[in-house]
Amino acid sequence: MVTDRRISLDRVGYGLLSRTLAECGRDVATGELRVSGRPGGAFHLRGGLVVAVESPGAPGPEALLLRSGRISGEQWDGLLREPGAGRWPEAGLVAHGYAGAAQLRVVRMMALQDAVFAVVAGRVDGVEPLAEPSGSGPLAPVAVGESPLRLLQEATRKLIALAALPCPVLPDRERPLPASGADADDLRLPPTRREILTHADGRRTARDLAFTTGRGVYAVTVELARMLAEGLLRCEDAPPTVLPFPVRTPPTGALSPVRQFVAMAPEDPPRPEEPAGPPRPEEPAEPAEPAEPTAVVRLDTPRKLPRREPGASGITETLAATKSGAASWKGFFRLRHRIWTPDSGT
Amino acid sequence: MDHEALTREMRGLREQVTGVTDTAVAAADGLLIAADIAGGIDPEGLAAIAAAGLGLARRTAEATGRGTLRQTVTHGSQGCAAFYAVGETALLVVLGDEGIDVDRLHEEARPALARIDAILTSAGAGREPAPAVGAV
Repeated sequence: MVTDRRISLDRVGYGLLSRTLAECGRDVATGELRVSGRPGGAFHLRGGLVVAVESPGAPGPEALLLRSGRISGEQWDGLLREPGAGRWPEAGLVAHGYAGAAQLRVVRMMALQDAVFAVVAGRVDGVEPLAEPSGSGPLAPVAVGESPLRLLQEATRKLIALAALPCPVLPDRERPLPASGADADDLRLPPTRREILTHADGRRTARDLAFTTGRGVYAVTVELARMLAEGLLRCEDAPPTVLPFPVRTPPTGALSPVRQFVAMAPEDPPRPEEPAGPPRPEEPAEPAEPAEPTAVVRLDTPRKLPRREPGASGITETLAATKSGAASWKGFFRLRHRIWTPDSGT
Repeated sequence: MDHEALTREMRGLREQVTGVTDTAVAAADGLLIAADIAGGIDPEGLAAIAAAGLGLARRTAEATGRGTLRQTVTHGSQGCAAFYAVGETALLVVLGDEGIDVDRLHEEARPALARIDAILTSAGAGREPAPAVGAV
C-alpha cells in the first residue's frame, strides 16, 4: 500500500524562521541561529549572509565525502592528523588529489542548501536569538555567503516540487521497502536506484538513506517518491495488533533493583578469604561484569562467589611433605609464616 | 511487563530523535530483552557489550572521581553508540548515524529511561508474551 499523505509547509515555523533570518540579514549580523524542532538545525551567519547550515536532517560535507566512498575513513583520518588540518582538511584533500577545490566548493554549498531544505521540510518549533557560535563553529563554511531569504525561497520551491509528485514523501516520514519484483541487482536500473533498493528496508527514511548512501537528502527524497510512483518501492504500515519487534520477558517477570537483593541476603556476604576465581564449570558463566548490578532474574538463585575446592591449591600436600621432613618445632614456625590466614593481613 | 509500552518507548525514541537508527533494552547483566535493530548487528552480542561497557564506565567514573555515571557514548566515523543505565536493573542501547544531535538524544533519552524503568519493574499484566509475538 502506497502511503498517500499530503505535504504541507509548517507555516507558523517557517514564518518565524523567515522573519528572524530577514532581521539578521538587515542587521548584517554575525553568529549562530539555532532552530529547534524536527530535525532543526543551526544557521551560521557572517555579515548577514549564511555561510553554513548544519542539520541532523541532512548529511554534512564530511558525510557526503565519506559515505559516498569518495574518500575512505583511513584517508580522512590521515588528513586530520596533518598539522593545521582542523576538522575540515580542505588543503590536504586537494594536495593529495582526493578532491578538487571546485568539487569541494560544490560539496560545501550542496550540504548548506540541503540542510536548509531539511529544516524547512520538517517542523520548526522555535528559533533562538542569534548567539556566538557554539563549540568551534561551522565545519566547512562557504567562502561567499548566501542571502538567507534566497536560501529559504529555494528550499520552499523544492518542497513545492516534491508535493507535486504523484507519490510525495517527506525526508523523515515514509520508511519504504522494495516492492515485490524490484531487484537491487538489476543492471538496467541506474546506480542511485539500485543503491536505494539495497538499503531501503522499511526502517530507513529518505533522510536515513541519504546518510547511508552519502547523497543529498532532497535528491534521495525525490528519487524515493518517483520509485514509489513507479512501483519499485512500497510503504507498508504494520497491523496495529502486532508488536513491531519481539520482547523477551525475563524468567522471573518484572525486574527489581539489585539493592533489594543485597537487603534480602545480608547473611551471605562475600568471604574475603576466598578471592573470586574463575567460575566452576557447573556454574553458569557471567555474561558481563560480575560486579554489575544483577537483574532479579537471579533472585531465586542467590548470587555466590565461586567456592574453592578444599585442598585444590595443593598446599596440604606441600605441608605434609615438609612436615614429614621437619625435625623440630623450629621448622613448624618457619612454615607457619608461609600459611596464609584471614587475619594475617596479606 | 507491558510489552507494548516497551516497544512504543523504543520505537518512539527512534522516530522522535533524528539520526537514531537502532535501539535495544537489556537486563543489567547483558541478557537481551528487546531489540529494534536492523539486520547486520547481533542484538545478543550488543547487549553483552553494552553491559560490560557500562560496568567499565561506571568503575572509571568511580575510580577517577567523576561522580555518577550518566551515559557512555562511543563515537565512530559513521555514527555513535550510546549506552544508558535504566535504573539499576537494565540498560538502554541507542545507535545513531553521524547526523545525530547527541545532546538532543540525551535530552529525549532521560525521560524515556524513567518510563522504561517503570515498565521493566512493574509486575502488572502482560508478563506472558502476546500470542502474535514470538520470543526472541
